[in-house]
Amino acid sequence: MQMHAGMPGTTVDRATFRLPFLFIVTGMIGFVTFHLFTLVGHLGWIDDAPRNPVGWSHVHLILLGWATMVAMGAVYQLISVILQRDVYSRKLGFIQYALFTLGVAGLVVGFRQFQTGWIAAFALLTFTGILLFTCNIGQTLRLARSWNPITLSVASALIYLLLAGGTGLTMGIGFATGWDASFRLQLLTAHLWLGAVGWFGLLITGFSYKLLSMFHLAHQVPTRKQKVVWFLWNLGVITGVTASILDAPLGHWLGGGLITSALIAYSLHLKEIRKHAIKKHPGPGIAFTQWSAHGVTLIAVLFLISAPWLSFEDPRLQLILGWIYLYGWVGMTILGYLSKIVPFLWWTYKYGVHAGKPSTPTLGDLINQRWIGITLKMIGIALLLMTAGIAIPSEMFTVLAGAVLSLSSLAYITWIALVFVR
Amino acid sequence: MSLTVEDATQLLKQVIDPELGVNVVDLGLIYDLQVDGGCVYVRMTLTTPGCPLHDTIAEGVRRALQEHPDIQEVDVELVWNPPWNPTRMSEEAKRQLFFFG
Repeated sequence: MQMHAGMPGTTVDRATFRLPFLFIVTGMIGFVTFHLFTLVGHLGWIDDAPRNPVGWSHVHLILLGWATMVAMGAVYQLISVILQRDVYSRKLGFIQYALFTLGVAGLVVGFRQFQTGWIAAFALLTFTGILLFTCNIGQTLRLARSWNPITLSVASALIYLLLAGGTGLTMGIGFATGWDASFRLQLLTAHLWLGAVGWFGLLITGFSYKLLSMFHLAHQVPTRKQKVVWFLWNLGVITGVTASILDAPLGHWLGGGLITSALIAYSLHLKEIRKHAIKKHPGPGIAFTQWSAHGVTLIAVLFLISAPWLSFEDPRLQLILGWIYLYGWVGMTILGYLSKIVPFLWWTYKYGVHAGKPSTPTLGDLINQRWIGITLKMIGIALLLMTAGIAIPSEMFTVLAGAVLSLSSLAYITWIALVFVR
Repeated sequence: MSLTVEDATQLLKQVIDPELGVNVVDLGLIYDLQVDGGCVYVRMTLTTPGCPLHDTIAEGVRRALQEHPDIQEVDVELVWNPPWNPTRMSEEAKRQLFFFG
């Protein structure tokens, strides 16, 4: 027998499974912990002013312990799909996993207790984990030498992740020593632009070009808008970071305008992908990733139009925008993709060796798409109601909607976790 | 009676793309299939370069053929040129994807 393709079911195949699996399962544990903390704490932190230690603990748990953890796993799983070559070093990936996981866990506890020495020490571990990740994936990209809007977006996202980690570490050390007190606010806003907008935004947009085309079976999709999104998104982040350093409020609005323009181009590109799709309905998870992108684009446009009547200094506005962008788009996109990448990962591991045999289940048999759709709808509605509660403001409304958001999120992740027992 | 291309094609219809739920023959992934006694050569592609299921589907093709008692040797060549396009799908595959996709 001669075989030109790789050989699944072998030790190599199992090794390629283990690394993304570790990241994704740890991320799911982080997600559950976040919502349990929120429910046990009677959802009190949701409508608190954003800048307080308990809020920071929650935000780092969901953004690093879940979103970034799952994103790193997805990069290890899918970089070979994008580049058609394996990751530079899986061993480095495991070391990075250990450092990053320990660092984030310590950081979350450190913020909760507000132990400044603890925060600084674990910020260093987290940053080291991020540094190794960017080196590993950066080297993989460099060796592949295949530059297109997808790989350029991933490379840019990596740079912003590293810089977000660097500014985070600087603030962590600043908490312990106080040396950054005079420019902490500038550091914080730069940290937000780099991490929330730069890292997540470019990774999601870049990966979506490949994943959505693949799941929709869309061919010959024009790539011009991908280049426009990449350019505008980078320009927006650079403008936002520069505005942070120079403490120039107008620059933040300009950066926001550029990101909104990028979102409009991205939203239009998603419609192009659907137009070229052979498979119009690849599942509710994929539909929600697209609806969340259209939704956040619409909200961003409305926000910019209303800008003259709004005060960004208002903590309620900051909270609403934070929840809409981070949970409504970044979170919903990751949740939606999980409904595909987890069955892919598990099927390859468990059933890959049975491919070609009758009665081998398909990916659709591993996950209940009906419940995925129902719970995603509940998450979306609860999030909108919760942000309305913050806007009114009504604490009771916010807390009730927040409870529904946490409970439906826990139900959703349970459906995803059930894939591992199929 | 020796194995024919038609027999091998029927065996390949057991190999289902687990994401799309359609077999590799109806998806138009098989570019060339040659049978020479107990030796089978398959040149095939996937719907997208670097598909995450790329190894498993190609291995599934090999397995489906190799389990037949008259086949001693299987050569599966995975190619990306010419790239797959939807016009290669059978009417049955299109019906499945449009109706159930």
